[in-house]
Amino acid sequence: MRLEMAEFPVTDIRLGSAFRYYSGKLEVDGEELKNLVLQDKRIEEAWLEVVVSGEKVRVTGIRDVVEPRVKVDGKGQVFPGILGPVAPVGEGRTHRLSGMAVVVAAEYEGTIRAGLGVQRSAILDMWGPGAEASRFSSLVGLVLSLRLVQGLSELEAHTVIQQAEFQVAKRLAEVTVGLKPKRVETFDLTKVKPKLPRVLFIQGCLTDSHHVHSGVSYYGLPIRDSLATVVHPNEFFDGAFAINTTRCIGYFPITWDWQNHPLVLGLYREHGKRLNFAGVILERIRFETFQGKEVIAQNTAQLASNLGADAALVTWLGSGNAFVDVMLTVQACERRGIKTALVTYEYGGKEGIDSPLLYYVPEADAVVSTGSRDRWIDLPPAEKVVGPYKEIKILSYPGAPVASARGSLTLDARDMIVGGVDNWGRQSWACRAY
Amino acid sequence: MITKELDRAGFPVALISAMYPVAEQVGASRIVKGVSIPHPCGDPSLPAEIDAQLRQEIVETALKALQSEVKAPTVFLPHMAVSA
Repeated sequence: MRLEMAEFPVTDIRLGSAFRYYSGKLEVDGEELKNLVLQDKRIEEAWLEVVVSGEKVRVTGIRDVVEPRVKVDGKGQVFPGILGPVAPVGEGRTHRLSGMAVVVAAEYEGTIRAGLGVQRSAILDMWGPGAEASRFSSLVGLVLSLRLVQGLSELEAHTVIQQAEFQVAKRLAEVTVGLKPKRVETFDLTKVKPKLPRVLFIQGCLTDSHHVHSGVSYYGLPIRDSLATVVHPNEFFDGAFAINTTRCIGYFPITWDWQNHPLVLGLYREHGKRLNFAGVILERIRFETFQGKEVIAQNTAQLASNLGADAALVTWLGSGNAFVDVMLTVQACERRGIKTALVTYEYGGKEGIDSPLLYYVPEADAVVSTGSRDRWIDLPPAEKVVGPYKEIKILSYPGAPVASARGSLTLDARDMIVGGVDNWGRQSWACRAY
Repeated sequence: MITKELDRAGFPVALISAMYPVAEQVGASRIVKGVSIPHPCGDPSLPAEIDAQLRQEIVETALKALQSEVKAPTVFLPHMAVSA
């Protein structure tokens, strides 16, 4: 499977009356995009704004972030199973608008009132400490704000938001059809160097099987109580993975992260140099019994062994007891002689002195930290608020107090900032031992 | 963590937990293996009368644990096969 990714960098977005791309500048026909989105009668109102790095702007109500892409050659289309039929992707040629993102923000009051399924949205500061905390603040953002009709169920609201953002993203990328890209990167694993170690990537994936949307979808299908499965890394780049857009939380990677997975890209870039990238195992985690966790760990290690892995890079997404599944997976791989390295965020509490991880196994002897999720953060007042909410809830429970979105905020965790937790090590954090 | 504080205050304590290895690692004293994270003390998928027996077995194991002297984190297993 060979995929050519043609890159068209964007440094500036202008809302105008036509679609044009030239030397990094993207002109967008805002009216056409709005009309495209408003064809869905479940959207009452839609509007667009551009945000850039350094502006004292706070975006509210964020549900997802997506990079505009379009397939110009090869089977299927971007976001298979969501924008079109379930046709295999990862082959041919795809165009991407890099350095920018469509940020979809929606006002939506869910019908689930408590628990894990309660709807949430996140914020993004384009300047100051909030910007430092999120990988998305460095992108030029086209914010698509939506107001949905009353009374939509969670799944319906999700579908409406996701269709709107993906349609807009695809329409934007279509501006590049026929143009010459700045650079092309080729993703192809067919050539291997037999002397190099085979390194597998294991993506632990918390999904909530009780919720109407489990949190992560593959070709549009929410993943539930699945055993481990093998996927091709090229599928990431064409949008085979997407998220639940009614629950945007800092420690859940979003669509942009799946499209630009830093560990998949990292392994690809070392392929044939330091290692042979042996492929990807998608491992559903958060089984609700210890036996379930042991079984998924065993199943994943068995699969890795069958694929002839010498080593595995393991990471995860989510929070809480799902981490036990991850640690047991590291243990099960190591016991089969597969060397593992784990990439994870830490807890550590307000001061960073509490226990950093929920669970340990002695075999986890190579762990890469991507920083603390728990450190408190103070956000200064914004000059401008973009997005549907002028007042926001810091906590998500029904009846939680609201604060002015413009004012200064103290957050007791990074969960409320989109990209606030660096699950997969996108950012160039450094650690220091005291 | 709460069980450790209760221990420190001199109350005998038993923790029923589906994640019993985590409880062991955290250092809880008496740990009873529970059924599942959303329902540690029973299994709603079983017929009511079997579930009642299971619940009784778990609670009795916990009471037995409470009366046991322990020096290190100790796991007590209910006799009835706990469903996966």
